[in-house]
Amino acid sequence: MSHFMSDTGSEDGLAQAHLHGLAHALGHRKSHLAESETAGLLESSAVDLLSSGFAWHYRCEDDQSAYDLALAAVRALPEGSLADGADAIIYSTCLPGNGNIGTAETWRSSRDVRHLMEFPASHLQAELELDRAVVIGLTQQGCTGFLGSLRLASSLLASEPEWERVLCVTADRFPPGSVYEQSFNLISDGAAACVVARSPGTFRILGTHHITNGGMAAATGEESIGSYFSYTQLLVRETLRRTGLTMADIDWIVPQNTNAAAWKILSRMLGIDENQVHMPSLPESAHAISSDHAINLSDLTASGRLRKGQRVMLLVAGHGLNWQSTVLEVTA
Amino acid sequence: MSSTIVLTGGTGYLGSRLAERLLEITDHRLVLLARDPQRARQFIDAWGADGQKRVDVVPTDLRDGTIEGVARDSVTHVVHSAALIFFNVEKLDAQAVNVDGTRAVTEFARRCPNLQRYLAFSSLYSAGTRTGRILEQPHPPESAFANHYEWSKARSEQEVLDGASGLPLTIVRPGTVIADGPDGRVTQYNAFHNTLKLFFYGLLSLMPGDAATPMYLTTADFTATAAAHLLLSPRGEGIYHLGPDPDETQTLGELIDQAFDVFESDPAFRRRRLLRPEFCDVETFRHLVDASRSLGTSPMSQALQSVAPFAEQMFKRKHFDTTRLHAAWPEHPGTDSPSLTHAVIDRLVASRWGRNQEGTSWT
Repeated sequence: MSHFMSDTGSEDGLAQAHLHGLAHALGHRKSHLAESETAGLLESSAVDLLSSGFAWHYRCEDDQSAYDLALAAVRALPEGSLADGADAIIYSTCLPGNGNIGTAETWRSSRDVRHLMEFPASHLQAELELDRAVVIGLTQQGCTGFLGSLRLASSLLASEPEWERVLCVTADRFPPGSVYEQSFNLISDGAAACVVARSPGTFRILGTHHITNGGMAAATGEESIGSYFSYTQLLVRETLRRTGLTMADIDWIVPQNTNAAAWKILSRMLGIDENQVHMPSLPESAHAISSDHAINLSDLTASGRLRKGQRVMLLVAGHGLNWQSTVLEVTA
Repeated sequence: MSSTIVLTGGTGYLGSRLAERLLEITDHRLVLLARDPQRARQFIDAWGADGQKRVDVVPTDLRDGTIEGVARDSVTHVVHSAALIFFNVEKLDAQAVNVDGTRAVTEFARRCPNLQRYLAFSSLYSAGTRTGRILEQPHPPESAFANHYEWSKARSEQEVLDGASGLPLTIVRPGTVIADGPDGRVTQYNAFHNTLKLFFYGLLSLMPGDAATPMYLTTADFTATAAAHLLLSPRGEGIYHLGPDPDETQTLGELIDQAFDVFESDPAFRRRRLLRPEFCDVETFRHLVDASRSLGTSPMSQALQSVAPFAEQMFKRKHFDTTRLHAAWPEHPGTDSPSLTHAVIDRLVASRWGRNQEGTSWT
């Protein structure tokens, strides 16, 4: 199904979907990767990661949960974003374990599986008094979950005529003791939130696309990198085809934070100027799992470089393996 | 007077096949100049009674600059096949072995009073980054090169042409040897096999090069047979290209498509749904190789470093003329490139690049 939406939004019967507000939250403990190397949190050397463009990252303190990050991100949304409530909460996590607030210890001692079903989206609904909202969890899209939630929110607004807005949240922290590196990327614990609504906002969602290759569900870091370039190009080509655009119509690329050289390569392959690729948070916040786009797109918005009518393509690859994209048009 | 063939590189991949071939088709004695006499004797044992009876070993390190211990009066043929053949060879090593070593062998050949032929192995890649039609003639002096290996082979050719002026001389320039013979069996792996391995295992999805670049791929059997013929033939003097004729070559694009056709017949490969590589320019590929350095000592990084030095050649369309080879060797069997590459790739996939079979070696 194409997610292209005409100017009137009525040509193919789909409602328009707009992105309102973007916010994020990061773990409280900021470390330089040299410190993390000393602490045994890396697989690569600090020197290698520095040469890839990484420098700092954020980890949760022991008493800070992924849900705490989610709540912080939602509370950081522009005032009034949820004043009229929400019709759904889409809560995505990269690690399925972050989709449960209960603890394995409680389950073991009680042998009651309800402790494995204490859903953070339900807690969020109650905490924010979003009484009308239904909750939906996305837990099997890896780092692509946030863009997955935008896609799903757009589809829901199209299929639920009475709905006005959907709150999209993503939140992940690595379990204590984890290596803070995946596929040669330095990791930050982080969360992001936005509202996808029928009413006009900062960006109009022009289209989305998603590719899953389950044959590489157990891909190693090297295999993920190996397929990154060809699948990202396929993702871009198919996204352009679905939205009826060409590369020349795209003014900005906002990717996930990854090895800086990857986008030197891809910008050449895609025939775009490297300066059109906006990934400024790489040295400061590393790869904040599914939250990079919120961080980088907020930065681009705040930079004053966006112009009405410009188009922004968000791209991400993640475990599964999954590749997702969203094309936005600046409307305000 | 009995004939004696002095051979360098006789324990190498091509040299050992040439030695075996010469034992088969001549009654001549063979003297192997070998850095490792023990290894040479293992080859001689494998060559059976003929080897025991007709082959001698003279311990020699060409980097010493001189060749001693050979009765020059008896030498009728000198074959120089020893070389460092890696695209990522360091310049100093290439100079010491491929250039200075060739000078030592050429000097030795000059001092053999009964010499009937001096045959030196070069490479098609001695042409460097030139494009277009390349004749079986000395290269112009202003050539440029993609790596130190190519440079050293061009320099060694020049050493031979300068030092062996007036001698009965043959220079052979083999193509990229990808198999022992037309059945596709591989016992020596090089950048060709390593690149395909990266694709098969999903570690590379960019291909540096122009899809229309012709590929000059050949076998060890073809190369050894051609060299033996030219060595012994009265019409064999001169420079020869030992590879497919230009109209027998596959292009890089055809080769990649064929490789993926074979890969995709493997269920495990098919399940992973790896995409065919995108062709990229050399600068983009350099960025990839640079980036791979941050992956530390991973297999992907190491393989990319080994593949990188020949990447530039994948953009250089060359047409190696073989007119002189056909004239000197009318019974030249020709090369069925698609059949050869299919057989090789089929075996690589089945053996998982030699992991599942014995008798292979990685170089």
